[in-house]
Amino acid sequence: MKVKNMITVIIMAVLVFGMSFWCWLKKPEDFSDSERRVLKTFPELSAETIADASFMNSFEDYAMDQFPMRDVFRGFKSAAELFVFQKLDNNDLYLQDGYIAKVEYPQNDKMIDHAAGRFRYIYDTYLSGTDTNVYMSVIPDKNRFLSDKRNRLSLDYPEFIESVRSRTGDFAKYIDITDLLTLSDYYRTDTHWRQEKITDVAERLASAMGISLSGSYTKNTLDKPFYGVYYNQLALPIKPDELCWLTNETLENCKVTSYNNKYGQPVEAQMYSMEKAEGRDAYEMFLNGSDPLVTIENPDASSDRELIIFRDSFGSSLAPLLVDGYSKVTLVDIRYISSSAVGAYIDFKDQDVLFIYSTLILNNSLAMK
Amino acid sequence: MVFSTLTFLYYFLPAALILYFISPSKLKNTALLIASLVFYAWGEPKYIILMITSILIGYASGLLIERFREKKKTARAVLIASTALSLGALGYFKYSGFFVENLNALTGLDLAIKKVALPVGISFYTFQILSYVVDVYRNDVKAQRNPIDLGAYVSMFPQLIAGPIVRYSDVASQLRSRTHTLDKTADGIRIFVIGLGKKVLIANALGELCGVYTNGSEISVALCWMYAISYSLQIYFDFSGYSDMAVGLAKVFGFELCENFRYPFTSASITEFWRRWHISLGTWFRDYVYIPLGGNRVSKLRHLRNILIVWMLTGFWHGAAWNFIIWGLYFAVFLTAEKFFLGKYLKKSKLFSHAYVLVTILISFVIFGSDSMSTAGKCIGGMFGLRGLPLITDEHSYYLRSFALVLILAVIGATQLPKMLTEKVRTTKSGAAVMSVSEIVFVVVITLAATAYLVDGSFNPFMYFRF
Repeated sequence: MKVKNMITVIIMAVLVFGMSFWCWLKKPEDFSDSERRVLKTFPELSAETIADASFMNSFEDYAMDQFPMRDVFRGFKSAAELFVFQKLDNNDLYLQDGYIAKVEYPQNDKMIDHAAGRFRYIYDTYLSGTDTNVYMSVIPDKNRFLSDKRNRLSLDYPEFIESVRSRTGDFAKYIDITDLLTLSDYYRTDTHWRQEKITDVAERLASAMGISLSGSYTKNTLDKPFYGVYYNQLALPIKPDELCWLTNETLENCKVTSYNNKYGQPVEAQMYSMEKAEGRDAYEMFLNGSDPLVTIENPDASSDRELIIFRDSFGSSLAPLLVDGYSKVTLVDIRYISSSAVGAYIDFKDQDVLFIYSTLILNNSLAMK
Repeated sequence: MVFSTLTFLYYFLPAALILYFISPSKLKNTALLIASLVFYAWGEPKYIILMITSILIGYASGLLIERFREKKKTARAVLIASTALSLGALGYFKYSGFFVENLNALTGLDLAIKKVALPVGISFYTFQILSYVVDVYRNDVKAQRNPIDLGAYVSMFPQLIAGPIVRYSDVASQLRSRTHTLDKTADGIRIFVIGLGKKVLIANALGELCGVYTNGSEISVALCWMYAISYSLQIYFDFSGYSDMAVGLAKVFGFELCENFRYPFTSASITEFWRRWHISLGTWFRDYVYIPLGGNRVSKLRHLRNILIVWMLTGFWHGAAWNFIIWGLYFAVFLTAEKFFLGKYLKKSKLFSHAYVLVTILISFVIFGSDSMSTAGKCIGGMFGLRGLPLITDEHSYYLRSFALVLILAVIGATQLPKMLTEKVRTTKSGAAVMSVSEIVFVVVITLAATAYLVDGSFNPFMYFRF
């Protein structure tokens, strides 16, 4: 009894005082690579901030963000939730068949209305009365393939797609790609699809728009593991992904221009940015990540047809696969550029216009401007 | 400050322990008082003056009552003045809005309702000061001459903001001298960690489950039951977890505090439930309201009146809203029924008596947790299928499956079963050895797990803060 009590006191003293000293001595970090967010810094300490309790209120946030071995503890919590308490998700994330996915539920009709409203605005403002051909497509998220395993909450995908179709069907022809996708077409640790697995999707889209793609590709693989956004959010040590990208001569000859600066001026960009591949989110290597406006000019094109894609980040890896059939592809992300400003950059006349969005963005579309 | 935060566990507590244990015996109460004032000021800097004033009024009242003990009228006047000041402060901060609102509703007046923030822990420390002054008046205890010691008693941070409501008479001698032993410290650590686990690992998880009901738009019969069960268990694990942490911490600082919860959900009657639930509050009302009113040694009618007064006040103590008063009176009905006729039937069938207690308690906590009686009515009606609700939906089935193990663990943890099992294992020599190692591992793992949950910064409210 005496020994047990002594060990208890010693271990707990080491644990509590040790962690305490570590908390005090640890150099604060500015940014969490794993969570991709700025961390809280030590709150302002003054008589005023103590009197109004703002120092104390901010201190716990600081303590949480700067806690030693924060990611290890977060992983410990995830493991406890999923494997000890057998919860079906931890902060909406779950692990199934080696894939991490996020519960996306319920269908939010207001968000679909908002997205469809933005698309209609674009159609009414720029496309109506022109010779453009307008198309719409929806990319299902990973839940579609995983949620049935333990009867998890998920969208009713046919109903979701029908909701989008019914709101856009009068101005955009719908292209269904859902039958082409399987679970292995997505990264295990990230939200996105794998470029090397969606050439059939590109062909289906191109064919529906009256274009044939003849390109064959060389598969390239990043020489380091890819830890997707879900990996870091769940903080469990699962096998990372391999990040691959497809190249061919046509793509290498293309000129990519981005308008990602505060003056909206064109700057040269890469189809696949190796700098981004080495950065915090390797998926951003595809067309420079979250740029509001990107153009790809294809000097080898056999026709002068142009494509404009209104898209989210799934479109970044898809667009290079459609380049083969067009002389110019323009990608617009209306989360980062207002729909009303698009007309200043694009002259809509006779292009193919494709709205392609993932269910994740359509069901959470408030960021669309 | 709340115990279940990183700020408390890894910043405040180590500093408080160092300050306390490096202080010589004579200054230990001073160290405890300083730590307690910092603890309180961390969450309520502007109300620290209120608490210090309340302590000083209690201190002066105790001395005056003792000084004028022979002049009964003067001593009584001091008691009344002190009680009025204590209850006046509590009334102003906690109940003024409620009274004005109801006065307006009754009279048609349009008196302005001033929003007053409720100082944390005011219900607890006010009752402690009241009990101290009354005990001095009754000559049950001697007045404390050292304001530091009285201050350390009232503001002692382990029990300051959520009890248990410690009687001065229970700790008076410990304030003068107390022992600090390795065994006591280890025992305190174990009790604290159990409380931390109850709060962070179980109560918070149950709180998330309750959120499915309170934040959702669609309800079903299963969800209403799930809410009633998880909310009742959440309150139990939240409050008893906090009490355990208080008792454990106090032990580390050399104090022995009273037990506040004793497996209340295993009771066979509501009378027994209240002997096991928030024991320090129940005994406070018994000793300072019920018995002074005459208790049960009066006519049946007055006895009934006494029960109603005590339970109305018990409900009202929990919050300035009608649902709390109705909650208290709801118990008064069952306690009266048990006293006068139901008690004998309950003794006949264990199954019936336990089922009766559980259903009564679940309904009571639905009332307790609702912001209005109509909200409570909706849930209670839903539980018994009175609203034409679906039995269960896919969404509710998902949450039920997701939280099934937490619910099972919570139900088992609310009974004596874990304690009985560990005691049984301890009866053999090898079992005792296994238990010794397991206890150490358990304490470390629960501390690390609780830390992990706190680092993740998920759901962590403390329910009894508002009382």
